[in-house]
Amino acid sequence: MNYNASSGARHPAQKPSGRKKKHVGDPSTLGTYTPLPYNPYAVPPVYDEHSAGPPPPYGYSPQDYPQQAPLYGQPQGNYGQTPQGFSIPSQLLNEPVVTNMAMQYGQALVGSGKQMVDRELGKYIPVSRLKYYFAVDTTYVTKKLGLLLFPFTHSDWSVKYEQNEPVQPRFEINAPDLYIPLMAYLTYILLAGLILGSQSRFSPEVLGIHASSALAWLVLEVVVELVTLYIINIESSLKTLDLVAFGGYKYVGIIVAVLLSLVFQRTGYYLGILYFGAALAFYLIRTLRIQVLPEGAAQHDPYGNNVSSGSKRRLYFLLFVAVIQPILMWWLSAHLISVPSA
Amino acid sequence: MAITLWNLYEASLLCLNAICVLHEERFLAKIGWSAHQNIQGFGEQPTIKNQILNLVRSIRMVTRIPLIFLNILTIIVKLILG
Repeated sequence: MNYNASSGARHPAQKPSGRKKKHVGDPSTLGTYTPLPYNPYAVPPVYDEHSAGPPPPYGYSPQDYPQQAPLYGQPQGNYGQTPQGFSIPSQLLNEPVVTNMAMQYGQALVGSGKQMVDRELGKYIPVSRLKYYFAVDTTYVTKKLGLLLFPFTHSDWSVKYEQNEPVQPRFEINAPDLYIPLMAYLTYILLAGLILGSQSRFSPEVLGIHASSALAWLVLEVVVELVTLYIINIESSLKTLDLVAFGGYKYVGIIVAVLLSLVFQRTGYYLGILYFGAALAFYLIRTLRIQVLPEGAAQHDPYGNNVSSGSKRRLYFLLFVAVIQPILMWWLSAHLISVPSA
Repeated sequence: MAITLWNLYEASLLCLNAICVLHEERFLAKIGWSAHQNIQGFGEQPTIKNQILNLVRSIRMVTRIPLIFLNILTIIVKLILG
């Protein structure tokens, strides 16, 4: 039992992967867990037959098959036949040292594969930045929704910074977040399905079309804003995800306007779009002004010239962003309102 | 009305193709739109025209190779699915 003792030391390290219990089942205990994970090292008949050829990491997936033998009769039959030529390597694999080494190798491979995937993913999607945008809580969400729907009485629009980075949205109501846009987007899709259903215009493709269309318009809007920011060459602390967040806030207005249209038909809808469009435009102008317009006066470059930082261009950019909000809100929801039967 | 993601992808592919076929010497220099033709001073702000031309040149340089694969992929998909 000495090999069990040495492998027992590694037991806590290997514990997190729950597969250890499953894959060493001998065929007589199909479908049940063996309570002692290292017991079946003495008798691994199924382990022999199909992992003699392929290297150990491949042995993971076939070793789940013995558990599913009642369902998959065919593969079990394949694995049940022992190719006679493999008897010697199988006896080698009976040696506990080799199985331990094989399992360690497989573990290392899985771990490094996972690391590589995480690294590659981290290059394209900034995961930690994403976490910042979802650090919200209920009071923030309610206050923010109230602010989006009625921004005219809010007085302090500045964002508190902490070591060159904005404070988390949880503590700062003026910071953009991605939770509200995401939820509003999903609600918009469901609401579109509901409205079209109430007008007997529904079919399941409609949901997909609306989702895709709204996402495409969002991507287009963000790309146009990014290109505009680059071309007119203004410095701003706006990041891409900020622009995505600001683009997603319009769905809140769309949802409320469409709900109004349920009750008040056309007039209610247009009034809703006008009001929420204006509110969102006001909100965006106030918020972006802090980030895009210079705070002080004109800046000085090393030559002592007064470089006016293009405040006219910044203003145009703000106006452009603000004006396309009501237009896009109308474009995305106009087909949803019911035509009152004459 | 419905601009799906596929439509957006097709449109952006066509636009990128259009930007990439603008030849630097044969065409843009004749119009006077070749990048860095009017080198500006250090302290000046880049003009809008320079920024656009820089953007075009960067897009051309970066997307030339991936665009080949994307075009092949899109052609195959359109052949299969019509």
